[in-house]
Amino acid sequence: MKNAIIFSGTGGQGVMSMGIMLAQSAVESGRHAIYMPSYGPEQRGGSAKCTVIIDKDEIVSPMAGYGGVLVAMNNMAYDKFIGELEPGGVLVYDSTLVTVPIERDDITKIGIPADALALEVGSSKVANVIVIGALIALTGLVTPEEFQRSLDKKFASKSDAVRAMNAEALKRGIAAASK
Amino acid sequence: MAKVLMKGNEAVAEAAVRGGCRFFAGYPITPQSEIPEYLSGRLPEVGGVFVQGESEVASINMVYGAAVAGVRAMTGSSGPGISLKAEGISYLSGALLPAVIVNVSRGGPGLGSIQPAQQDYLQATKALGHGGFRLIVEAPHTVQEAVDLVYDSFELAERDRNPVFILMDGCLGAVMEEVELPPMKELPERPDWALGNFEKGEHEPRIITSIPGEDVLEMLNKRAAMLQQSWAVNDVRWEEYRLDDAEYVCVAYGTSARVCKYAINELRKEGIKVGLIRPITLYPFPNKVFHDLDYSRVKAIIDVEMAIPCQMVEDIAAQVMERAPILQYGHSGGNTINNEDTTAAIKALIGGLNK
Repeated sequence: MKNAIIFSGTGGQGVMSMGIMLAQSAVESGRHAIYMPSYGPEQRGGSAKCTVIIDKDEIVSPMAGYGGVLVAMNNMAYDKFIGELEPGGVLVYDSTLVTVPIERDDITKIGIPADALALEVGSSKVANVIVIGALIALTGLVTPEEFQRSLDKKFASKSDAVRAMNAEALKRGIAAASK
Repeated sequence: MAKVLMKGNEAVAEAAVRGGCRFFAGYPITPQSEIPEYLSGRLPEVGGVFVQGESEVASINMVYGAAVAGVRAMTGSSGPGISLKAEGISYLSGALLPAVIVNVSRGGPGLGSIQPAQQDYLQATKALGHGGFRLIVEAPHTVQEAVDLVYDSFELAERDRNPVFILMDGCLGAVMEEVELPPMKELPERPDWALGNFEKGEHEPRIITSIPGEDVLEMLNKRAAMLQQSWAVNDVRWEEYRLDDAEYVCVAYGTSARVCKYAINELRKEGIKVGLIRPITLYPFPNKVFHDLDYSRVKAIIDVEMAIPCQMVEDIAAQVMERAPILQYGHSGGNTINNEDTTAAIKALIGGLNK
């Protein structure tokens, strides 16, 4: 499904949070969204994957088998899920952690050094927000302002420092995508 | 009221509270554990009681205890846990006790897999325990529908003095989508038949049991038979989707029905006339819609389930009566069906017919 975004990585990288944050932001901004996690017995360190579908119309089925966008946060996720990206789709990957050669030539590939940028911002925990920044800049699924608003809501009970770090991460991601 | 993005299991738990549930006992099992997790915090806020039982058997019997006292009681589990509760569910029905039981189903048989599946149709609709009792079985396909059905399920159970069964699947439990939550219901008075009406001056001993004596038992079984007949007329529910001119009729419930809707919309773009019958009540089964199909137009019925083999086939066949072939497409064991592959599979099945 063209309007399906698959997020993939390893437990602990905030992959599920990426999906929920994007779906939440889409709904708060007046679009329809569905978030479908793929769960297994894995925990931290195991494979993590979720799918988000965003549409202006009501979404009939959450069960996208293939996505128009694949976000891969490391080599394992890339290897496991690259086959679920539709021909003509967009691969957004963390170029710090996806080091294997990307062999498909029927897709658009966008590498963002998210993990490295996140460490510059203050913590590798915000690599997911950096990638979302890049993703929304590339796709226009939600605007940066809409996503920032949802981010503020999500982190309302956290410290100013945490909020500032996430806001900075979002900016860095948007900037990285326009390079 | 504004729509919120909510996970199926949590939305169902909140809908239960708003529908009057004030007692939940259960034991964790994937993929329904968010229901007890949510209710462990939520029920005490409304003066209700949450118990994580030491086992499924203990939990269903606690539900029996709460129901005896006229409290709106509920339990949830998944396949293997529902099997463990089987005795207690039979006792609830035998003792004419209302309760709501949710199965967020997973792969089977045995311990199966923790991933979504629809392997429990036969269990839910034919024999949830020993003794030949039946429950109304409702199968929502969206989080909103799950909320709406659970919200009204306690009144349904009280009307019949019989438990109501909600059959979900792991996808519906895990998915997050927009939902509008209904308002909090006012709790009814404790029913006259329940124990504990001391404030009404009742101090006579009363026995609520599922071993009533031979003559009474036969009478109760006749009552159950009449109840089932009335369900078939008054409570049966289904959805027809693009069915009017359909030459190929998919049959699916729960998440599979959503996948079928996707496939139907895609195949219609190619000029293939496909439609869907979606049972909302699995028991009573929507017999009439199958019986009344125009078989001069309908070339095939295609049963689509996350089960191998598909389990609705016999109920469908009993109404179709060989007037059209019944094909099936299923995945199970945690390999969920998806939109694109299902579209291709339905197209291939239709292509095979027309060779």
